[in-house]
Amino acid sequence: MLKRSGTTSGTILQRVKFPALVALTALAAGLPLTLNPYWTAVFVSIGLGALLSLSLNVILGRAGIFNMGHAAFYAVGAYVTAILNTRFQVPVLWLLPVAGAASGLCALLVARPIIHLRGDYLLIVTVGIVEIVRIALINDVGGLTGGANGIFGIARPEIFGIRIRRDIQFYYLVWGAVALTVALFSRLDRSRVGRALSCIKEDDTAAEGCGIDVARYKLLAFGLGAFWAGMAGALFAAKMTIISPGSFTFWDSVLLFAAVTLGGGSQTGAVLGAFLVFGLPEIFRDFASARMLVFGLALMAMMVVRPQGLLPPALRRYDTRFITRGERAAGDGE
Amino acid sequence: MKKTLRMLLCIVALCMMPGLAGAGTVRIGLMCPLTGSWASEGQDMRRIVSLLAAEVNKSGGIHGSVVELVVEDDGGDPRTAALAAQKLAAAGVIAVIGTYGSAVTEASQEILNEAGILQIATGSTSVRLTEKKMPYFFRTCPRDDEQGRVAARWITEAGYRNIAVLHDNSSYARGLAEETKALLDKAGRKLVFFDALTPKERDYSAILTRLRASSPDLVFFTGYYPEAALLLRQKREMGWNVPMMGGDAVNNPDLVKIAGTASAAGFRFISPPVPADLAGERGKAFLAAYRAEYKAEPQSVWAVLAGDAFNVLVEALRRTRPAAAPAAAYLKNELGSFPGITGAFSFDIKGDRAGDLYLLYEVNAEGAFKAGP
Repeated sequence: MLKRSGTTSGTILQRVKFPALVALTALAAGLPLTLNPYWTAVFVSIGLGALLSLSLNVILGRAGIFNMGHAAFYAVGAYVTAILNTRFQVPVLWLLPVAGAASGLCALLVARPIIHLRGDYLLIVTVGIVEIVRIALINDVGGLTGGANGIFGIARPEIFGIRIRRDIQFYYLVWGAVALTVALFSRLDRSRVGRALSCIKEDDTAAEGCGIDVARYKLLAFGLGAFWAGMAGALFAAKMTIISPGSFTFWDSVLLFAAVTLGGGSQTGAVLGAFLVFGLPEIFRDFASARMLVFGLALMAMMVVRPQGLLPPALRRYDTRFITRGERAAGDGE
Repeated sequence: MKKTLRMLLCIVALCMMPGLAGAGTVRIGLMCPLTGSWASEGQDMRRIVSLLAAEVNKSGGIHGSVVELVVEDDGGDPRTAALAAQKLAAAGVIAVIGTYGSAVTEASQEILNEAGILQIATGSTSVRLTEKKMPYFFRTCPRDDEQGRVAARWITEAGYRNIAVLHDNSSYARGLAEETKALLDKAGRKLVFFDALTPKERDYSAILTRLRASSPDLVFFTGYYPEAALLLRQKREMGWNVPMMGGDAVNNPDLVKIAGTASAAGFRFISPPVPADLAGERGKAFLAAYRAEYKAEPQSVWAVLAGDAFNVLVEALRRTRPAAAPAAAYLKNELGSFPGITGAFSFDIKGDRAGDLYLLYEVNAEGAFKAGP
């Protein structure tokens, strides 16, 4: 079995990375103690955005599937959480996997017939999906979604008997989830699935030729991304205690798409993209009604200056000496 | 690169700067949708409140201090609204006016209440907002169940005895129909007909025949204007001369176009006033000031309600001292009847508007909508 071993450059990178990671964690943990409540709330909002862009990153950044309907899956997770919590008083954190599963299942159902579509065709279908979901929510499907006013009175999450309600507590919850997501998805990148997905992204005909079941892997990426978006939706519902169709519009999907594209496809890039897309409008608040204009200009400028995204994933490195050594060993055996 | 970095730092520093509140200023927040799908409402809210704030400052401010308006955009979206509320709380406002949309208001409610900030919502009609009994929450708009109350009161006062209620099964029209039915039942009026029509059809003569067989002396249709117009026309064509009234979903000039002037004449409906119809001294003065300043008409009555919120807030702050708690107590217990732009009103113990906003309109012989007394 061919296992990826640490290369010399890799270990150096890791040696630099480790203290940097510790410093970053310490900084992130200490940050809310120095912020006023408003900026803490902004960071919580960015954290939720980061979770979402990480989940879209699996679909768009890794597998290269153009999904501009991510808000639909986010909405499914949030609404499943809200409905089960307000009607049956199920604690919000228990609902995380349920919300994820519901979104993942929805994604698989809608993606199965369309997954063979390429690029812009798929994009148009996903735009349709997000609109269908939003309009269904407004029309109060089955009397469950509460129409345009949404669902209110969602309970706060509770961990070890602590009720999470202040922004500073949500800060740790949300950013903890982001850290966990980055860790898990980095593992995914290094796995067989991750390699298959990058291969599909580069050229799916070639991938097919290499014996990769393209449709299956694409579905897997779609389902996984939607699963994660559903869980982010559950956290969002718990944070807001009210959800309404206004939070799951086409525009929100576009923002997420922009965050991942700006990021360039890596995990760090996706988090950075979330900072730009969800943080800049808050920084530009003082421009009042022109703030979205300024925000749009900032995005355009970034696209012009760095079309490949801010942080594209590093090239995969393999230790070829290991392979040749293996061959020699095999040759010796003969 | 260095230059851009410096600029970015400058922007960040500007944003982080704590509000430089000079001595003798009273900060009042306005939260409104300046962007998003309700942007025109929000822009109008800002125009109206800044106009009124300038007037207050010209007439001596509040206890000699200047009113400083802090405007934040909620984007018509609960997520942005929660951040806007946090931002206003951090800016040290004592009261917040707004916002438009019940879900959006709800997202800000708890944050402002916890920060001890008085909030007067302006376009959030959902019943539940005031059922939470938050001590610092008020609203100048009527609740969703208010229209049914006004309709039932008007029907009973006008002396109709046998009433037919027709809706179209949409959640809005059905809600209004059921609300009115319950109140009419309580008032001892006889409901001879209660059913729904199918919207978007061309021919309603079947349901009109059934209506006629129940011989009502008033037909109340709670649905939208296209159906209302067809009902009016076909009612006239079959030579049936019963008075008909509608809810605020028929308030559209196309009603007369579809029905024809002759059929529509005499049709009545209840609706919040169009800003141009604002009567009363305060209303007329406000319209004149608005036209003089902006050379335009205010677009919707919901934005004008932000003006009412500002005026009543200033009144409370002038009568007490510039702090949320005494002002809230004053608004609840001592306000009495306040002469607002949209008519006299006060607040009940829950913080809801007490005092009519709805007007009874009648289509006159020329096909124009005339606000009745």
